[in-house]
Amino acid sequence: MPVLIDTPNGAPDITGALSRPGPGAPRLRLRLTPHKSLTPEGFVWFIGVTAVMIAVPLFSILGTAVFWVLLPFIIGAIGAIWAALKRSWRDRDIWEELLVWDDLIRLERHEPNRPIRDWEANPYWVRVALHPRGGPVPQYLTLQGGPREVELGAFLTPPERVSLKDTLERALRAQPS
Amino acid sequence: MADAAIQGHDHERPGFFTRWFMSTNHKDIGILYLFTAGIVGLVSVIFTVYMRMELMEPGVQYMCAEGARLTAAAVEDCTPDGHLWNVMITGHGVLMMFFVVIPALFGGFGNYFMPLMIGAPDMAFPRLNNLSYWLYVAGTALAFCAVFIDGGAGPGWTFYPPLSWQDAPTSRAVDFAIFAVHVSGASSILGSINMITTFLNMRAPGMTLHKVPLFAWSIFVTAWLLLLSLPVLAGAITMLLTDRNFGTTFFDVAGGGDPVLFQHIFWFFGHPEVYIVILPAFGVISHIVSTFSKKPVFGYLPMVYALVAIGGLGFVVWAHHMYTVGMTLNQQAYFMVATMVIAVPTGIKIFSWIATMWQGSIEFKTPMLFAIGFIFLFTLGGVTGIILSQAAVDRAYHDTYYVVAHFHYVMSLGAVFGIFAGIYYWIGKMSGRQYPEFLGKVHFWMFFIGTNVTFFPQHFLGRQGMPRRYIDYPDAFALWNYVSSIGAFISFASFVLFIGIVFYTIFAGRKVTQNAYWGEHADTLEWTLPNPPPEHTFEELPTREMWDRQPHH
Repeated sequence: MPVLIDTPNGAPDITGALSRPGPGAPRLRLRLTPHKSLTPEGFVWFIGVTAVMIAVPLFSILGTAVFWVLLPFIIGAIGAIWAALKRSWRDRDIWEELLVWDDLIRLERHEPNRPIRDWEANPYWVRVALHPRGGPVPQYLTLQGGPREVELGAFLTPPERVSLKDTLERALRAQPS
Repeated sequence: MADAAIQGHDHERPGFFTRWFMSTNHKDIGILYLFTAGIVGLVSVIFTVYMRMELMEPGVQYMCAEGARLTAAAVEDCTPDGHLWNVMITGHGVLMMFFVVIPALFGGFGNYFMPLMIGAPDMAFPRLNNLSYWLYVAGTALAFCAVFIDGGAGPGWTFYPPLSWQDAPTSRAVDFAIFAVHVSGASSILGSINMITTFLNMRAPGMTLHKVPLFAWSIFVTAWLLLLSLPVLAGAITMLLTDRNFGTTFFDVAGGGDPVLFQHIFWFFGHPEVYIVILPAFGVISHIVSTFSKKPVFGYLPMVYALVAIGGLGFVVWAHHMYTVGMTLNQQAYFMVATMVIAVPTGIKIFSWIATMWQGSIEFKTPMLFAIGFIFLFTLGGVTGIILSQAAVDRAYHDTYYVVAHFHYVMSLGAVFGIFAGIYYWIGKMSGRQYPEFLGKVHFWMFFIGTNVTFFPQHFLGRQGMPRRYIDYPDAFALWNYVSSIGAFISFASFVLFIGIVFYTIFAGRKVTQNAYWGEHADTLEWTLPNPPPEHTFEELPTREMWDRQPHH
């Protein structure tokens, strides 16, 4: 599920760097991640079946010198597909976290091998803009009213961005409690 | 934070060199694979035409020790050059198995259409994809070297020792052939890792494994087979290389080795290899049959599990290629039964295709003709395979033309019909222009008749006892060899016509503007794109309504 929404009703337990001393728990917390279709269980199954199947020819050469020459090739193949799948996960290990308090809106973007990038503004001035076309992706979503205009959830599907806009606007329009 | 980028996303169009030589775009690389495989295929087919010229009449007329000729020589002017013949069959086998069929179906169609069908913006590792393609080109160059330097390599594509120790002290030709297979193997392994990662981790949201189109499934199973079998081949031929050059004796009885071990590990690779060749064609055919019967594919899930079962069973039947090396009775009985079991998933696929056509409104366009031709010919080749799978019967048929006829029915007539069907099906999508329908049908009929005239009589020759891999034969085999050669010439003429059709289509074909020009039953994701698709596709993830048109299957 690429969009996770937390509202204070359920009293979510906010941890570590994401909590902010002072005004208390945020009114809205969103976590956006790109879609990854390979599950951890899928990874285990794939590597397991691969390892079993590729070991079959070793039975016909047990006890010969040929076995020891073949073994590194087989281990190498399993290592290569293991590394490739892990790398593919890491490439998509991006997430964006949006936190809305009464007097502050904060956005963080986490990417592998890059420092965290963040953006803060006053929710009173923030506008959520949806660009149906003209952006890098259809239904491009940006936040205006801070130090600079930033994008939000460019890796989601277009309908997800449209519903994200509604969620955000509802949270921003709500009266400070 | 990523700053908003509302404008300025248009980048410059790359120049010719940048686009085709440094490409990381899966569609461009797919097209490169298809054209390279076409050129190598032409060379390899020319080898066969030369061989069929030689076999047309008893005696040796063309491959003379005095020099290879293009006109028939009189008997007294010509000493037979058996080595040239061996070089030809080796060249044909190595090129066709490693450098034509896999690159065309897996590299070409797989690269171009698998990411489109699962809604991925590109392959998981685009630069690795470029490396795979150029390793393939380098391997092809080495394979051509193996044909032309130091008298040429002639151990056959299977490289059995001791045949592969041919001229080890003086000739580098076999070493070049081994390197060619190494490099092409590296290319295929990198390609398959890329395909597997793309398929597993980049499917569109909601597209579970039970909803992926059949072609994408067939490419995934093929990639998996490549990953499992090629390291074994790489190890085997590496040992062959050290045996030839560095005095090791892995396969040399004189030093305590065993040449039969090589056959075991070679065929552990070699049998999955023939499924690697044919499985993507299964995927292509499934889509074509459904499109032109105007019905969804019958039995989607059994089709998927049949693909997986064929792939899995392919790993446990390898010794049926070597019944005559001296195995125990129990081993032979096991390999015989295991081989016959493969007929079950294959039968599921064939009956599902027929059931897809059943009561459909069938339109006999060129891709559909090739698809029906594929089903008919592959079934025929499969049935002779069941005959050959019997260990007792194989004693008589081993290394006869019956085997040659069998594997050409499944691979030359199976996989190649699949390639042609795919090209006619998708050429409008890839080039934006449609092929001339009449010429396409002429090509089909010429090719269908030509290949059948070539290979069907070889069953008779095999039953008469003609052994394979010989330059000459007694007069008793003359009639069917003559007929077979005529068929080879018809097939070659149809291939030349095909090359003409492709270039006519690319430069002067009728433009196709409709996205899904084969109608609404061509319903996978590539048909939602314009012809040809833009450079970047599905950067935004496609939504479920775009690909899930038949939620009931």
